[in-house]
Amino acid sequence: MARSDISGLFGRSPINPLQQHMKQVHLCLKEFTAFAKAASKDDWDKAELSRSLIVKKENKADELKKKLRMNLPSTFMMPFSRRDLLDLLLIQDSIANITKDLAGLMATRKMIFPVEIAQDFLDLVTVSVKTSAAALEAINELDELLETAFSSRERKIVDTIVTKINALEHESDIAQHLIRTKLFTLEATLPPVDVMFYYRAIEWLGETADAAQKVGSRLEVMLAK
Amino acid sequence: MEIITQNSEILIMLAIGFGLFMAWGVGANDVANAMGTSVGSGAITVKQAIIIAIIFEFAGAVLAGGEVTATVRKGILDASVFVDSPHLLVYGMLAALLSAGFWLLIASSYGWPVSTTHSIVGAIVGFGAVGMGVEAVAWDKVGTIVASWVISPLLAGTLAVFIFKSLQKRIISTENPLENAKRYLPFYVFIVGFVIALVTLLKGLKHVESLKHLGKDFPTSMLIAVVVGVIASLIAAVIVRRIKTDPEDDADFHYANMEKLFGGLMVVTACSMAFAHGSNDVANAIGPLAAVYSIVESGGDIASKSALPSWILLVGGGGIVFGLATFGFKVMRTIGQGITELTPSRGFAAELAAATTVVLASYTGLPVSTTQVLVGAVLGVGIARGLASLNMSVINRIFLSWIVTLPAGAIMAIVFFYALKGLFGA
Repeated sequence: MARSDISGLFGRSPINPLQQHMKQVHLCLKEFTAFAKAASKDDWDKAELSRSLIVKKENKADELKKKLRMNLPSTFMMPFSRRDLLDLLLIQDSIANITKDLAGLMATRKMIFPVEIAQDFLDLVTVSVKTSAAALEAINELDELLETAFSSRERKIVDTIVTKINALEHESDIAQHLIRTKLFTLEATLPPVDVMFYYRAIEWLGETADAAQKVGSRLEVMLAK
Repeated sequence: MEIITQNSEILIMLAIGFGLFMAWGVGANDVANAMGTSVGSGAITVKQAIIIAIIFEFAGAVLAGGEVTATVRKGILDASVFVDSPHLLVYGMLAALLSAGFWLLIASSYGWPVSTTHSIVGAIVGFGAVGMGVEAVAWDKVGTIVASWVISPLLAGTLAVFIFKSLQKRIISTENPLENAKRYLPFYVFIVGFVIALVTLLKGLKHVESLKHLGKDFPTSMLIAVVVGVIASLIAAVIVRRIKTDPEDDADFHYANMEKLFGGLMVVTACSMAFAHGSNDVANAIGPLAAVYSIVESGGDIASKSALPSWILLVGGGGIVFGLATFGFKVMRTIGQGITELTPSRGFAAELAAATTVVLASYTGLPVSTTQVLVGAVLGVGIARGLASLNMSVINRIFLSWIVTLPAGAIMAIVFFYALKGLFGA
């Protein structure tokens, strides 16, 4: 029997799928820590294992993204704009995409950072993971936000988390700057093509933190409607 | 006149049969829409919903349905046209019942969202305008009814926004939602109990012979309404206090325990929805039956002011119970499963707004659609940013169902009208 009833009025909530997606994205970046550690020890078997996990998680995030998009017909009325929600989803997704590309780049080139900056790179990874963890924390507040119908009380909680994300992103900028400065002094002694890709890897890793920051700010835009 | 006196028994039997058919349709489908939100939030079981429906639908129809029954019975058509041919009005009302019953059956088997109210009104207007002539229809009254179909969901939506915003301010987004829920929820229940009781006493009981003096006695009515409100809020307070809350449930989602309290009160809101639905939809289903009865009983006197005998309401109530028992519980379960996104606090706001609106409409004698009023109320909560996603294409479906139901009810009623005319004689 077709639905002749009031239950047809209720669409599926996009909030839980969005949270699931961010969780998957975060796990993807978190796995990159193991990858980077294995790579720094020149243990490429272990790194390859991690990389395959990263790819798997990225794929899963992609699936969640597609499913969420399919369940968002334009006739749905939501407490935030559909545009903002889809943008947020794309930004979240970019974190997983960058992570996958970065792991791919490092694996194919068997990239090992020079001893002088190896630890700095691992530190930068830690900061990036922390930033995305904070973004996940903010996204996880969405169901509470909905429950209170986006009250100012709940928004303050989100504001606090977003401030934390911004601080972490700033920390990532400083760490990037530090590595680049060190790398610049070493440049002359290293193979030029390697140096080029070191810069690229640092840039991409920095981009994950940027994306995590964008998740926070986009979330704030969504709430401010 | 002779036709009526000669066939009085068979005409009444037909009216009862068709009335039962129609009420069965209401019980099988419509009630489930009115109460599905309570079932969907998981607060009450299907079985409990059916028991509540039986008691409160009946109470609503008897205590508060009089005005709506009167409108359907003699408000839509201009009685003076039928003074010389009361039997035609009898045929017409029988045709209207049968057509509305059939249309409900067809529509619900195809899953179209139709309203009993609209099919009955469409059928009566249809046979009146075609069978008797355009002047037989009280167009100004019909205009008011159609306007009420637009206004009632809007009113329910506005009320829902206010109720939800006030819940948000007093309970949901406070330091301690659990404590505030315990403190304030009985108060909301008091207001609803008070309003429903007061309007019932002042306007609804006019049609209940032994109680109608209360409508003229304002202080007594006030007092009784306050007492009803207090009793309702005491029940609510007891329910709220008896619910077990576990702080650990709030670890993942901070409002889990508060929602449990709202969930407990869904019993109360389900009662008020069933009462409201009974006062409007049941009442308009038995309106034509009441019309046939009063004409036949008085031997063809259209203007007869005979009171509504209670067995007519029994027919309505019995048909609904039968509908619930045969199909209603299934439909209710299906709908309940479809409404999982509505949390108890949202359901509370939407149902209170819908019930209040429908009851108010009932007292002004306007037949409105409970389902559509509830849709309006839910949209209101959505506008207040309380719901994750609402499928707005439902609005299109509702408009479509209007466009289809009114002529469909009318055409079938016209066909049945001429058939009855051929059968019993003009």
